[in-house]
Amino acid sequence: MGPVSPVMVRPGPSQRLRRELFASRFDGLISIALIGGLVAVGLGLAKWVLVQAQWTVISANSTLFAVGRYPLEQQWRLWLLTTLLALATGLSWGLLRAFPRSGAPARSWPRNDRWAAAILVVLALWRPMALQLALPIQLRWWAITGLLLLARWAAGRWGAAIPASARRWIPLIWPLLYLVGMVLISGGLGLVRVAPSDWGGLLLTLLMATFSILLCFPLGVLLALGRRSNLPLLRWGSVLYIEFVRGAPLITLLFLGQNILGFLLPGGLAPDRVWRAAWVLTFFAAAYVAEAVRSGLAAIPAGQLEAARSLGLPMPQALIHVVLPQALRVALPATVGQFISLLQDTTLLSLIGLLDLLGTARTVMANPAFLGRNAEVYLVLAVLFWCCCAALGLGSRALETRLNPNLTPSR
Amino acid sequence: MTRSDAVMIEARGVEKWYPNGFHALRGVDLTVEQGEVVVIMGPSGSGKSTFLRTFNALEDFQKGSISVDGITLSDDLRHIDAIRREVGMVFQQFNLFPHLTVLDNLTLAPVLVRKLPKADVQRRALALLERVGIAEQAHKYPGQLSGGQQQRVAIARSLCMEPRILLFDEPTSALDPEMVHEVLEVMQALARDGMTMVVVTHEVRFARQVAHRVVLMDAGVVVESAPPEQFFTDPQHERSRQFLSQIS
Repeated sequence: MGPVSPVMVRPGPSQRLRRELFASRFDGLISIALIGGLVAVGLGLAKWVLVQAQWTVISANSTLFAVGRYPLEQQWRLWLLTTLLALATGLSWGLLRAFPRSGAPARSWPRNDRWAAAILVVLALWRPMALQLALPIQLRWWAITGLLLLARWAAGRWGAAIPASARRWIPLIWPLLYLVGMVLISGGLGLVRVAPSDWGGLLLTLLMATFSILLCFPLGVLLALGRRSNLPLLRWGSVLYIEFVRGAPLITLLFLGQNILGFLLPGGLAPDRVWRAAWVLTFFAAAYVAEAVRSGLAAIPAGQLEAARSLGLPMPQALIHVVLPQALRVALPATVGQFISLLQDTTLLSLIGLLDLLGTARTVMANPAFLGRNAEVYLVLAVLFWCCCAALGLGSRALETRLNPNLTPSR
Repeated sequence: MTRSDAVMIEARGVEKWYPNGFHALRGVDLTVEQGEVVVIMGPSGSGKSTFLRTFNALEDFQKGSISVDGITLSDDLRHIDAIRREVGMVFQQFNLFPHLTVLDNLTLAPVLVRKLPKADVQRRALALLERVGIAEQAHKYPGQLSGGQQQRVAIARSLCMEPRILLFDEPTSALDPEMVHEVLEVMQALARDGMTMVVVTHEVRFARQVAHRVVLMDAGVVVESAPPEQFFTDPQHERSRQFLSQIS
């Protein structure tokens, strides 16, 4: 053996802990105090969750929390929709791995994906059990999770074999699925109608949120472009709209929407209470998205538009192909932040009498059988919302990395 | 070199006021013939860039007239778009599209504006990149290239539209000194091939070797317009002598 060359000694975990937590006596004191506090809070929470809390309020009302008063004999439609969603998710997820954009080697199961799959499996096994669902329903959840992972695996394995001409159409399954989902939920085309007033719980919350998110985005982009337009009427109209909406609290707009649309439109034409609220949410969020997009537009140097225009691109094409792709990427974090608060703003629907998640929770808590079980209900609500928002946030960060040309080495 | 007498750019008495009242152009005349290389020099704030940018309507003007390749500039958007298709522009800051690969930077406009088949345009784009010496970078993003390479891509991008005139707005001012040369070489080759070019620059050597005519602007007017040997050795105006003594 030759002479030992100096090597970087990687500190072991115990050494690292020591260096990070107990570097000096003062550091040690702070660390001990913080660890003590965390342990105390954790133990208290664990004791409450495992011993004191009575989760029957959740398990007994799980269907109510999920879909509200959606008629039992029509709930197969929601199961079908969930299955389709799982399939589409698995397919898209697998395809994203089959076509990595970053120059990193195409790995079909990166570590994060294994974690996600493991979490899904654990959820599928644990949740139906914890909610004490009937066995057939438990089986359904297992099957749906299995399908999702199967689609993920198959798309990751064979996705690369799909010809490019067909691949271009695959993203269209999402808008298509949205329309199919709308029909499945509300009925029509041969299905029994289920009135919006019967939708509730997580179903209503997610429906309102996705509807407003999908529509407020293009609306916000148009408003932002209008605010920067050279046409005075368009510019002042956009400014007026944005500033008016941003100056009013959402709850007043929701009440206003419920009343004013009834006055403005003759009886039959005014949309249902639920849809009125959805439109108000959309128009409200659009003003905020417009400001986020405007900041993105402002970040793009004027030279970009000048270069596009001097290549002969007409204004709409210059915006679509040159300015907006860059501006929207800059505005993405702020926009998704807006989507997250929009999701949380859906809880205000309970104040105008709709049975979204919070509304449903309030009816449940008003039930004498579950008196005093507020903490359990609110904790579950908080966790549910946190999951949805975390998913949005993670998705946005992944998209940001994928769209960043400076992280993308040559092919 | 063959120079026909066809007039490519004709500017008469162009005057421009900025919205803040600044009188940037005070009656500028310029005629550029086909195949001619005109270098515009002048101190900063003399209006040379502004004047150049009026040729493809990036700047408007209030008085006078400009016609480019027989089309008169007016507020008519169709005229402006028609002129922009025939006039390429290379900017000081390159202004490449950072979200597109080099190849897509070149093909975007010909495919969208000229409605040419993408495969044909890509073939021509690769040939152009070859010509400016960076064919191997075609699939990289602009942010991965050096300044000199980016400016050569920008020139190739303009050429991909097959313009009849190329405008250069201080194309080497944002470059590190060692990269100026590679860009000037490309421009020199273009001039040799008979491209009509109007170049705003401070590169005296380029002006001496390549230009057919050097125009000195100051305070929004043309002070002197002469062939380079005369301009640099025997300027007729006091302002020109003063300018030349400052830059040499």
